[in-house]
Amino acid sequence: MNYPKELNYSKSHEWIKEENGVATVGISDYAQDALGDVVFVNLPAVGDAVTAGEAFGDVESVKAVSDLVSPVSGTVCEINEELVDAPEKLNKDPYGTWIIKVNEISDKEDLLNAESYEAFCAQEAK
Amino acid sequence: MSELKRTCLYQTHLDAGATMVDFGGWDMPVQYPSGIVSEHLYTRHNCSLFDVSHMGRLIVEGPERVKFLQHVLTSNVMALKLNQGQYCIIPNENGGAIDDAYLYLFEEDRFFLVVNAANTEKDLAYLQEKIKSFNCTIKNVSDEWASIAVQGPKSKEMLTTLSGGVQVTEPMRNALNSIELEGHFARIAKTGYTGEPLGYEVFIKTEDAKWLWNRLIELGAKPAGLGARDTLRLEAGLPLYGHEFGVDAGGKEIPIFAVPVGKVAVSFTPQKGDYIGRAALEKQSAALKRIREEDFSDMADLPRRLVPIALQDRGVMRAGMPIYKGDKHIGWLTSGTMVPYYLCEGQGITSRYSDETAKRAIGLAYVDSDIKTDDIVEVDIRGKRLHAVIVKEHMRVDSPPFARPIIYKLEEETEAKVGSDQHRMALDLIKLAQDNHQWRQKKCINLIPSENTASRAVQLLCQSDPSFRYAEHKKSLSFNNEDIFYYQGTKFIDQVEQMLVEQMRQYLGCTEVETRVISGQMANTAVFSALMDWKNRYNRRVEPQRLGYVLHNHILKGGHLSAQPMGALHDYAAIDPVTEKRAVVAFPVCADNPYKIDVEETKKIIDEYKPEFIIFGKSMVLHKEPVAAIKKFIDEQKMQTTIMYDMAHVLGLIGDHFQKPFAEGADIVTGSTHKTFFGPQRGVIGVNYKKDELKYGLWETIERRAFPGSVSNHHLGTQLGMLMAAYEMNTFKDAYQKAIIENAKYFAKCLKEAGLDVAGDPAISYTETHQVIVHVGYAQGPEVAERLEANNIIVNYQATPEEEGFTASGALRMGVSEMTRFGFGKDAFAKLAGLIADCVLNNRKVADEVEKLRSQYTEMKYCFNDAEMEEALNGFAGIIGL
Repeated sequence: MNYPKELNYSKSHEWIKEENGVATVGISDYAQDALGDVVFVNLPAVGDAVTAGEAFGDVESVKAVSDLVSPVSGTVCEINEELVDAPEKLNKDPYGTWIIKVNEISDKEDLLNAESYEAFCAQEAK
Repeated sequence: MSELKRTCLYQTHLDAGATMVDFGGWDMPVQYPSGIVSEHLYTRHNCSLFDVSHMGRLIVEGPERVKFLQHVLTSNVMALKLNQGQYCIIPNENGGAIDDAYLYLFEEDRFFLVVNAANTEKDLAYLQEKIKSFNCTIKNVSDEWASIAVQGPKSKEMLTTLSGGVQVTEPMRNALNSIELEGHFARIAKTGYTGEPLGYEVFIKTEDAKWLWNRLIELGAKPAGLGARDTLRLEAGLPLYGHEFGVDAGGKEIPIFAVPVGKVAVSFTPQKGDYIGRAALEKQSAALKRIREEDFSDMADLPRRLVPIALQDRGVMRAGMPIYKGDKHIGWLTSGTMVPYYLCEGQGITSRYSDETAKRAIGLAYVDSDIKTDDIVEVDIRGKRLHAVIVKEHMRVDSPPFARPIIYKLEEETEAKVGSDQHRMALDLIKLAQDNHQWRQKKCINLIPSENTASRAVQLLCQSDPSFRYAEHKKSLSFNNEDIFYYQGTKFIDQVEQMLVEQMRQYLGCTEVETRVISGQMANTAVFSALMDWKNRYNRRVEPQRLGYVLHNHILKGGHLSAQPMGALHDYAAIDPVTEKRAVVAFPVCADNPYKIDVEETKKIIDEYKPEFIIFGKSMVLHKEPVAAIKKFIDEQKMQTTIMYDMAHVLGLIGDHFQKPFAEGADIVTGSTHKTFFGPQRGVIGVNYKKDELKYGLWETIERRAFPGSVSNHHLGTQLGMLMAAYEMNTFKDAYQKAIIENAKYFAKCLKEAGLDVAGDPAISYTETHQVIVHVGYAQGPEVAERLEANNIIVNYQATPEEEGFTASGALRMGVSEMTRFGFGKDAFAKLAGLIADCVLNNRKVADEVEKLRSQYTEMKYCFNDAEMEEALNGFAGIIGL
């Protein structure tokens, strides 16, 4: 399982990277592995407001559906259109495949760094 | 978690990196590292292994085992013959399902019942209570046996490798067998839960399970978990207990008839007696019948039904989601997810899965019974209403080796292109017909065994005046049993018909001949209809009885369509009330030669079924039919069985070089006149009853069932041509038939020497007829036949007796009759065999060489081609202006 150092993580297994006031959000390697084959991603629209700790969409695997939880509050400024036709990219390359980008950030969840997140996942897997 | 049960393959799954879950109290693999989508797709194009050892395996034995099972199951247990399985349901009194199950008869004296893992204890407790009133026992043997489902197009090949080439099971679904797999005893069922046309469930002793699993992995199979098992069964539309059986999302019990396969599992035969749930099930069945007739006035006994549903908007449907039509809540999803599928490339029978895949959101829906296929409904997906359509099916499983996904498409209204310049089209048509004629007659080597080209004399006669006329006629007792004609201008036609009857009597060697039937299939239909009419002649005031047991060649063993219940026998074959199946039984074939009837086994079958009617004859035919041996046995048994030989393929071979059917004891011969015979496309019936015999009445019935029963206008042009063909045959048959048999044997030998896999017995040079069968690889027949056609060689692709049907054809069927008539001898067939082998084995282009070979043989033999005849024909052609 891979936990890149340069990213931060939520306890609901999203990763987040902030640059120049824009937060890029995806799901972690641990999340994609637990979901299994991702077959559909329900994306918000550009301009939608998202709230830290609340669902902004969902990701469906063959087995089940899981909420995508936003680690930040703000406005969706970009969505990854690629996922409409190729949701399996989330399995193949979870850190190279972002889901949404958020700007006008007003609030943030308590995030974990890579080391703490790895420990959190290890705990959860037990 | 420690109390979860483990199958004997538990460690194997862990070693393979499986993700394990609690499934009905069992610690089972839900998926392996490759993932559900990949496991699903691998099953569809190759072969997957599923550990289904968690399912319950029960044995029912003892004197009243049948009576007990008839009481506690929905199916007709009496329909099971040794080595057959059947789907069944354990019903409750309300007509709901306690469980669904599979019943197998691997051994005559005990039944093997497989139930769902999570229900095993419940089922066993229930059955143990019920069995108390019966003199038999039930025991749980789940620990002794493991079960591995081997599913997918490569499954047959893999298991056949392990059996050392021994046939795994008969090709039919639900067939069973007990065989050794590399020295390990296994019971094998041609069943499965994936919808794969090729799939097996293997029961093997627990201690051998790991060996079998690993051996199949070595051969290329991959493990698949419960996740893929669920998506595969959903795509196949198969129910899962707890979703489609049991209670619905509103807590109400789902009636058995609400599930499409429920109807298949339920029997109302009187011999089942008053079994558990029968009364409720009969009400459900009556309701289903009304609903199928689109009478929705009373749906109380079956308010909702399970139907396949496909999402049209983007998203994924899941079990439990409500479904609406307008504002009305009409039901729930019972199962749903996104499933992957292969896109197909190519068209028709040679189309194949491409490498490209896609996904679709599909499900099963439990909706109001008045909802119909193609209805658009809305599914509430977490508060959003998305459009979905009720479909007929998600997949078709009837074209082995591959399952075919059915993707819902709105049908586009296409306007038929009707041209308006008929003169132009007429000229084009002439050109096209001319090109086709040139290609087929001058460039192609035709090896279709059911075809022949007629001589010039026959062709010209077919086109002359009688071809525009009518000549209905019928014998009348009032006029000394003379034929009375209903049309004028028919005296010549009458003469021709009488002469034709005489020539055919001589040829067939029988007392009476009917020539008015215009095809072999019509000949058979007329005979079947006459047999049934004759059987019911004493009392015509009641519904006529259909024929009793009919013994025939099964279509998978080379039998002709016109002797199958799906073909010409359709309206005449009865239903056996005990088995509730067609009262048709197939000739057993030799274990070492599936092309040959096993006479000793046939006698046992005759003894058991006492057939009323025996039909010899096949369309894939390498051997003589054992008419004399069977006739002798029938006589010894003092049975009144009517013996017919459908000589469609071999009509032109009657004589010293093949068989004389009437001399051997056949009562009736039917045939088509254009395969090995020289005629235009017609049929013929001959019988060997004499006027003083009781069965002469059957002959008179056959005449009536020919006219007016089957045909009004009996195609008088081809009847005239047929007379010429009969003259030719009676003159040239000895030389022609000798050449046919010699050529076929030699052709088969040359094909073998050229490296092809020729079917049949090498000791007789493979064939005793005009046909030669060549194996080209499982399911490769259509592609190879297409390739040969592109190289000007015309053959049939053909399923062998081990194969599932025409889509799985692994052989080519070839006949030497037409080319023999064009003068092909040993040299030509040797050359042709080389060209075929080169094209089939090396994919070499041989079209030009084939055309060159063909061009050397264009003059027809075995017909009157002397100068006097030529002059007469030229004159005749001039007169008729053709």
